[in-house]
Amino acid sequence: MRTTASRLVAVAGVVLLVGMLPWLSNRDPALSILRARSAEQEATPEALAAIRRDLGLDAGPLRMFWDWLTGIASGNPGTSWNTGKPVLPGALDALTVSLTLMGFAMLVAVATAALVVLPSVRAGLRGTPKRTGGGVAAALTSMPEFLLASVLVLVGAVWLSFPAYGWNGPEYAVLPALALGLPAGGLIGRLLADAIAVTFTEGWVITWTVAGFSRRQIAGAVLRRALPGLASQIGLIMVAMTGGAVAVEKVFAIPGLGRTTLGDAQSQDLPALQIDIILLLAVSAVLGITAELARRLLLGSALHEKAMPIPSGVFHPSPRRWVVPIAAASVLLIMVVAGLRRDGQATTREKFAAPSSAHPFGTDASGRDLLARVADGALRSIGLSLAVTFAALVVGVLLGLIPRASRGLVEVTNAAPPVVTGILIAAIWGPSAGGAAVAVLIVTWAPLAAHTAALVEETRARPYISVLPTLGAGNARILFGSIVPSVVPVVLRHAMIRLPGVALALAALGFLGLGPQPPTADWGLILSDGVAAVERAPWVTAAPLASLIALAVLAVSLAGATSGRVRKTGSVIEKVDAGGRST
Amino acid sequence: MTITGDPLTTTLLSTNVFRIAALASVGALTLTGCFSSGAADDTADRARVAMLQPPRSGLSQFSDDAFKLSRWSTAETLVTLDDLGDAEPALATAWNRVDDRTWSFDLRPDVRFHNGAPLDSAAVVTALTAATTAAPKPRILDGVELTVTATDDDTVEVSTADIDPLVPQRLSSPQLAILAPAAYSAGGSDPVGTGTGPFVLTAVNGTSSATLDRNENYWGEPAKLAGIDVDFVPDGTARAAALRNGTADVVEAIPVSQAANIDQSLVHEVPMPRTNTLYLNNSSGVFADPAMRAAARDSVDKDRLVEQVYEGRADAANGLLGPALPWAADRPARTETPAGDATGKKITLATFTDRAELPEVAVLLQQELEAKGFVVEQVVREYQFIETDALSGAFDAFILSRATVLDSGDPVAYMYSDFACEGSFNISQFCDPQVDAALADASATEPGDDRRAAILAAEKLILEKDAAVPMLHERVIQGESEGLTGVARDPRERTLITNQTAFE
Repeated sequence: MRTTASRLVAVAGVVLLVGMLPWLSNRDPALSILRARSAEQEATPEALAAIRRDLGLDAGPLRMFWDWLTGIASGNPGTSWNTGKPVLPGALDALTVSLTLMGFAMLVAVATAALVVLPSVRAGLRGTPKRTGGGVAAALTSMPEFLLASVLVLVGAVWLSFPAYGWNGPEYAVLPALALGLPAGGLIGRLLADAIAVTFTEGWVITWTVAGFSRRQIAGAVLRRALPGLASQIGLIMVAMTGGAVAVEKVFAIPGLGRTTLGDAQSQDLPALQIDIILLLAVSAVLGITAELARRLLLGSALHEKAMPIPSGVFHPSPRRWVVPIAAASVLLIMVVAGLRRDGQATTREKFAAPSSAHPFGTDASGRDLLARVADGALRSIGLSLAVTFAALVVGVLLGLIPRASRGLVEVTNAAPPVVTGILIAAIWGPSAGGAAVAVLIVTWAPLAAHTAALVEETRARPYISVLPTLGAGNARILFGSIVPSVVPVVLRHAMIRLPGVALALAALGFLGLGPQPPTADWGLILSDGVAAVERAPWVTAAPLASLIALAVLAVSLAGATSGRVRKTGSVIEKVDAGGRST
Repeated sequence: MTITGDPLTTTLLSTNVFRIAALASVGALTLTGCFSSGAADDTADRARVAMLQPPRSGLSQFSDDAFKLSRWSTAETLVTLDDLGDAEPALATAWNRVDDRTWSFDLRPDVRFHNGAPLDSAAVVTALTAATTAAPKPRILDGVELTVTATDDDTVEVSTADIDPLVPQRLSSPQLAILAPAAYSAGGSDPVGTGTGPFVLTAVNGTSSATLDRNENYWGEPAKLAGIDVDFVPDGTARAAALRNGTADVVEAIPVSQAANIDQSLVHEVPMPRTNTLYLNNSSGVFADPAMRAAARDSVDKDRLVEQVYEGRADAANGLLGPALPWAADRPARTETPAGDATGKKITLATFTDRAELPEVAVLLQQELEAKGFVVEQVVREYQFIETDALSGAFDAFILSRATVLDSGDPVAYMYSDFACEGSFNISQFCDPQVDAALADASATEPGDDRRAAILAAEKLILEKDAAVPMLHERVIQGESEGLTGVARDPRERTLITNQTAFE
């Protein structure tokens, strides 16, 4: 019941917040509606007054909100301020399109995830469980969707003759599904590989092996055992793809809900925006409840019988596990050292010069040296995105510890497209560099909280934890002494895989005046500036993308290598891991 | 890595969980109405058009969507404009000025709307009255009180509250198109099946596509094409890709950065009545000083902007009005204010991202201004999020791509709103009684050579004060597939597909 209450409170909060949008922002709704209808019409007082009268804006926010609420209660969500047409049919059409696209993208994501987890399964079956696939997954999740979409348009449409845009049949869904599904598949695959590696250290695997179960049966069982912890994650990713596919929808001209919501938020078309948000929240709640049911179904009686299997956490860490992080760190370090002495602000007449000895990474549209810009942006991009990621980790873990109360908040913050959150933040705070950090934090903590919640519940159901109260341990001591230490490393690795996404999201809010502003050198900004020239001058996007991938690989592999550390207790050598029990 | 043949992969993919996920995905795909209905089956002789902007307000003519209706030749106006901006007959065959404030228009006989209703004076009164009472009313009527009455079945009288020499030109605005009375309801107009043009709008699919068929009963020469299939494609790369792989016949607004990748015989540059202008804040901050404004003017290297940012696909500006108005080239000579020393002067330079080239212009301008000694801070946002600040004078300098003739083909309205004390778009915060007088003079002059001379005199005054620095005039790059002829290349962006458009 607490979950339901949490959902209701969160939804009510968002609906109220959105309802106040024009009064929170200093943007006159009459002006934004005028702009939505007519880009270059003079905003004369006469024209604005006419719109205000027409929409009844003079009544004030509370009165309008009340009218809207009573309208909803009587089954009438109102008409769009912009088009004057009923808002519901259009929003439902957009939702159908978005769900279809999400379905196709999930096919791609599942296939991608399967390939990413394959090495982990192999290693586990060999009896040497380890976390693998970090590099590939990190590279996939570092791909900005807008860049992937543009590259796919060129490769798929120009060279392979797929339709470049539109939504008239399954062949139109191929390219956008790839653009959405590849990064999502990398993320799911990475989380799953991590969970699978831990599961392979659970005692029953050895028992099954001894009992003569086939590799195939064991692999299936391990997968089934690893999935409950990720069910809510997969649900959240599906929701994020439904509402957050703005960039992909724009490139491929797909009339989906993400684009619609963004447009309605920009023009402050409240009735339309409210219905978009409510539909997204409904999808979020339905998928959230489904994921929860799936999780309970998969865990079965082990959960309430307090009989969750315990992973030993004994890994066979490869002696080469430091190779990848050291290599990635070296690449970044060499690049920064080489680039910092160069001038990344001076423009030259060499537009889009190819990489050469004078410009090792080439030049951008304004003839600026890319090596200098990428190096200059490194500290800023890495520092800010790390700070935001860690803040999200702290918030996520803390709120994940009170899962039922935070459930609604998780679903709500995850459902809305990040740019819409950015618009709300910009409305409340005005344009500022810190605003982007807050907006990205708001959308990043939720998956971490959900992951924490799932892990905490499983850990609580382990026999050795369930006996602790009988042994006299207090609630707080159990939580912070035994549960949190075993959960945090897993969530930390999860947070690290989201690091490149955070760096990109920060730059993506630049159009609102939030986050880094040009001509600042920032990886996200360089990437988004370079995307239009991806065919003529691929090096403009290649350099920051490679750096971002190196950063992601570094973060993921470092988190993996350190949390598998060997701890010596007398003569007993035990390798302790996140999923395992600390001794 | 191949998927087939690998037993482990097969296992993974055949596991229940993956099966469930796959089933769920497939389930989502079987939703009814997943995809929009496709284009007409018979695509022979139909032009496929990729347009930049999706409809803004459900194709109501009282928004920018009006220009789409005229670009598809489905909605028509009483009057059209020729290349010079003079009025020509369309749905009205003739007109005369009854007195200072009243004009009379004779309607074309035997014209029927696509829904079969006749074009008569009652229909015209309904259409124009809907426009004058729309909220807000079309921009061409800003500050104009206009009333329309029927004198008989095929004559209407249009009267204005003030003396207005431009009434016929105003009626050429696509926003004042005449649709059948059935099209008008509270809050907008519905152009499906209610126009008079050579193409009938038969279906609109939200913000993604529209379908038009030939009007077999057109009052003029029937269209050569069987129909038009329109897609709205906001992304420049995708539009260019469609032209290259042959899935679009006409493509609007190809970005400069994409044009170089396309067969040059398919792209056509159309000069635009648009001036990329650096507005300087005349009333406060560094640029309140005329010598600093002159320094800013001197630092702008127009040719470099044209060459580097626009790759030669633009014209360096000599004044506010560009080559889309050929007569503006005869402008009088100006005396320039000498530039002062700008060392250490701090300014903010703002622009917006909606036009891809503007942020690049800002980068180069910053360098050029800094070379003169200015200390520059940039602010770049999307237009919606910067307009209010720009209009209130929050920035010292603002780069804007400004349309100089809106709907009447006449630039006085633009000059007034940007540079008159009472102007509603006065980013420069500029106020000068001499300029106000010159603008009032131009505004009252009858269309023709005298008016053009008065306009150029006002332009000279504005530029001598360095209220703003015109930098360049843009060209729009239009893509046309091989074998398609008769596509209009219209600087005013009012026409595109006409009854003359055909495949060879």
